[in-house]
Amino acid sequence: MKRPFTVLVSAVIVAALSSSLSAQWPLYSKPGVPKGADGKPNLKAPAPRTPDGKPDLSGIWMRTNRTEAPGTAPAGQPPLATFGDIGYGFKEGLPYRPLASDLVKKRAGALDNPDALCLPQGPLEYHLDPQPREIIQLPRKIVIVYESNYGLRTIYMDGRPLPKQGEPQPYWHGYSVGHWEGDTLVVQSNNFRGALTGLPGDGWLDGKGDPFTDALTLTERFHRVNFGNLQIDVTIDDPKAYTRPFTVRVEQEIVADGSEMIEFICHENQKFLKLTGREP
Amino acid sequence: MTNRAAVLLVAVGFLLSARSVVAHHSFAAEFDASKPIKLTGAVTKYEWTNPHAWIYIDAKDEKTGEVANWGFELAAASGLMRQGWTRLTLKAGDVVTIEGTRAKNGTNNANAQTVILASTGKKLFAGANTPTP
Repeated sequence: MKRPFTVLVSAVIVAALSSSLSAQWPLYSKPGVPKGADGKPNLKAPAPRTPDGKPDLSGIWMRTNRTEAPGTAPAGQPPLATFGDIGYGFKEGLPYRPLASDLVKKRAGALDNPDALCLPQGPLEYHLDPQPREIIQLPRKIVIVYESNYGLRTIYMDGRPLPKQGEPQPYWHGYSVGHWEGDTLVVQSNNFRGALTGLPGDGWLDGKGDPFTDALTLTERFHRVNFGNLQIDVTIDDPKAYTRPFTVRVEQEIVADGSEMIEFICHENQKFLKLTGREP
Repeated sequence: MTNRAAVLLVAVGFLLSARSVVAHHSFAAEFDASKPIKLTGAVTKYEWTNPHAWIYIDAKDEKTGEVANWGFELAAASGLMRQGWTRLTLKAGDVVTIEGTRAKNGTNNANAQTVILASTGKKLFAGANTPTP
């Protein structure tokens, strides 16, 4: 608890030092935020719904900072993934094929982490980055804007099928289609570029470098538990990299104080290559 | 509500909800956790940028007395904003003491954990680039 406490104390000091709000963006509370008796946002209130009765996932979401010791996920729940290591919750580790374990070894030191290089993050890095993401739910598509590295995903909700693997040009963010199963949004994605393109920053699932390839089919099950909480169970099915599919859980919480996404131009002042001796 | 109170509420609100400032880059690739550093000097440049903000200071070597310019990497400007920092928090000439971790490559660079303003003695959390689980 030392670090959060330090952060708290320091922030209060920072805040107390600030003499002007002019440099901050003003807060505008959003409509539809349920309030408790104390006037604060009631995060346990039921999830909002769109006019067609489906849960509305729209909002700005932060990952939670909860972690789980390896092997301690409650029965029936997938292990919690972390930003640095999506396999953190698996006591026995991830089911690597040699291709994957070789890549993880090669990536030790994380010099080619796409996040550090300002390239698009992997799908789980986007879900777990400490910077927020905004879900914009429209009738025929859902768009997710990730503040980190300005990622942008489109999930088609118009009933189109998932294309054949290898047919459309592979994208960093893959090709995603979604449908509802009860109150759960099920998104399937394929045609990712993946780790076999020859570009070292391609195909990273996390900061450690757990890989994915162009054979990946990703299934994400989004469940807005209540107003304030979103669970995303992500299944990695990549027969080139892993001996079997596996599922991890991501937890996010709503940003309900009226603050917004903040511009993030990653190449504005990029010094990673210089600091790691690969640029003068 | 005064501006100051508003800022306080914003900052505390964020922190109470346990949001961390982040680590954009691979800490281990850039910095050596076994080499802590603490330097005091006048700010020569304050870069309010992404993916990281930077503070440059002229710091005197305690043994040799020589002055050298050091660069300290902070969290992303976007993350620092969520903690109450602004582009106006520091300016050239402000004297600060910065604690952090040296760069692996042996250059006069480090990442910053905390920044203490000499004029007030206040300690600011720099949201340094630390390893995340």
